[in-house]
Amino acid sequence: MTVLRRAAVIGTSAIPVGRYQTKQTDEFQVVEHELLARLVIEAMQDSHAERSQVRSIVVAQPRPYTRQQYFSTFMASYLKLPCSGIVMEVLGNGLTAALAFDKAIDEVVLGRTEVALALAINMETAVSARDHMMESMRKTGDVDFHAPAGFTPISWYALDMMRYMHEHKVTRADIASVAVKNRRHARLNPLAQFRKPISLEEVLSQRPIVEPLGLYEVPPRGDGAACVVVASEEYARSLGIPYVAVRSRAFFHEGAHQINDIPTDMIALEAASIATRAAYNDAGVAPQDIDVAELYAPCTIVEVLASEAAGLVARGSGAQAAKSGETALGGRIPISTSGGLTSRGHPSYATPLYNVIELADQLRGRGGERQVANAELALLMNELGNYNAAMVHILEARR
Amino acid sequence: MSLEIVPVDHERRYPPRVTQFTEPFWRGLSTGDFRTTRCNSCRRLSFPPKPICPHCWHDQVSWESLATAGRLYSWTRIHAGPAIFASDLPYAVGIVDLDCGIRVACPLHGPSADWQCDMAVRLITLSHTDGPLFAASPA
Repeated sequence: MTVLRRAAVIGTSAIPVGRYQTKQTDEFQVVEHELLARLVIEAMQDSHAERSQVRSIVVAQPRPYTRQQYFSTFMASYLKLPCSGIVMEVLGNGLTAALAFDKAIDEVVLGRTEVALALAINMETAVSARDHMMESMRKTGDVDFHAPAGFTPISWYALDMMRYMHEHKVTRADIASVAVKNRRHARLNPLAQFRKPISLEEVLSQRPIVEPLGLYEVPPRGDGAACVVVASEEYARSLGIPYVAVRSRAFFHEGAHQINDIPTDMIALEAASIATRAAYNDAGVAPQDIDVAELYAPCTIVEVLASEAAGLVARGSGAQAAKSGETALGGRIPISTSGGLTSRGHPSYATPLYNVIELADQLRGRGGERQVANAELALLMNELGNYNAAMVHILEARR
Repeated sequence: MSLEIVPVDHERRYPPRVTQFTEPFWRGLSTGDFRTTRCNSCRRLSFPPKPICPHCWHDQVSWESLATAGRLYSWTRIHAGPAIFASDLPYAVGIVDLDCGIRVACPLHGPSADWQCDMAVRLITLSHTDGPLFAASPA
């Protein structure tokens, strides 16, 4: 890959993941642009960048429940921010906010702007799960050949988990230790949706959602909003404060959307494996050089599969690594120090920016009680499970 | 090989759309014939049936009936589903690797409460009041 110039993360802001979306009958409504505009101001203050250097805005397309449409040009107007780089919305399954980050990096790398904004807002909690799934069921497999069976997006992770337990002789309880470990992390994260400690027994006794996964092993529904300020590394350096360099970036899609008519090893997450290897190679690093990792792992099993595919832990050992503390704060390779998607929360069209923010906090030494000591190199992997795509960024501290 | 046709006394919850091209698949399914397309050039099968070959991008394909025995690659039982499936909850779905080398995903039907990865299964036709769906059942 030819690198034109390097990009850096210089500012971040987000609201704690939670319930913000109002019902139509509520007297006062919460509107997306008011929340997001404040985050832009906060993230720009954090970055110390000049407003005049911002010439590109990339917005993760909001959920269909967001009333305001053409959200990117609307935000540019709301912020009175003329742009010569790009003003656009992006959409790509769970990668949506990762694409906002990636396209913001592109704008900087291509020299179209010194500073780019990546924005995301996901509002959905006033819509019931069963109604929300009327839309999300159409996102599984082929809408005519698979959706009539009633698949839901997380049912695919349950299918992965059944297979994983069968092949590796690992129990549900082993894998559930990921949820317990990540809740301990979330307790230390002010942005997390759920911070009360939970025991393994509590996790295992929740009602089933998609067997073998119960309520605490799947993502809670949540609203969230985030802004990440990206700049050229030269500009970042000129500000004279700590920043986060983007060392490398890789993407892979297997050309298969959930169900492949050619039988493959579904739990190998080949796209994640290929993209992480490419990102390690481009950065000239190895998995064992990574100090901290944030994954797009909606369910406990996904953290297991993704951490194995990324080479952070050995194949078949991901659950044991969570159980033994190897992937916990203080362990060999802390994973999901934010609390992960089950506890930090999963406002899905914003989730990848929350992952960027966690790593930016870690690499700028702002992790507070959950700071990974001497964190220098981080893995950001947003991957799509059985949609068979993965986007990986390797980030590095610059102080 | 013919599929067992199992009557179901209600309409499909989320009926598939039928195109001029896929009509032979759904018509075949309703009479117990599970068909898909095979490329006239590279001779590879595809599922769902496609009017082109996704493997070699040849534009001519032919219909072919498949044997319906296979094994269950994985399964789950869904307890929280879309509103339209509420009266079916909980319901089981699975991924089946057919002996002919094709992988499908479908509802699981039958008395077996004890689905197991790698167990032998066969495809069946669920004959709903408004049309067919394919499903898997213990062999």
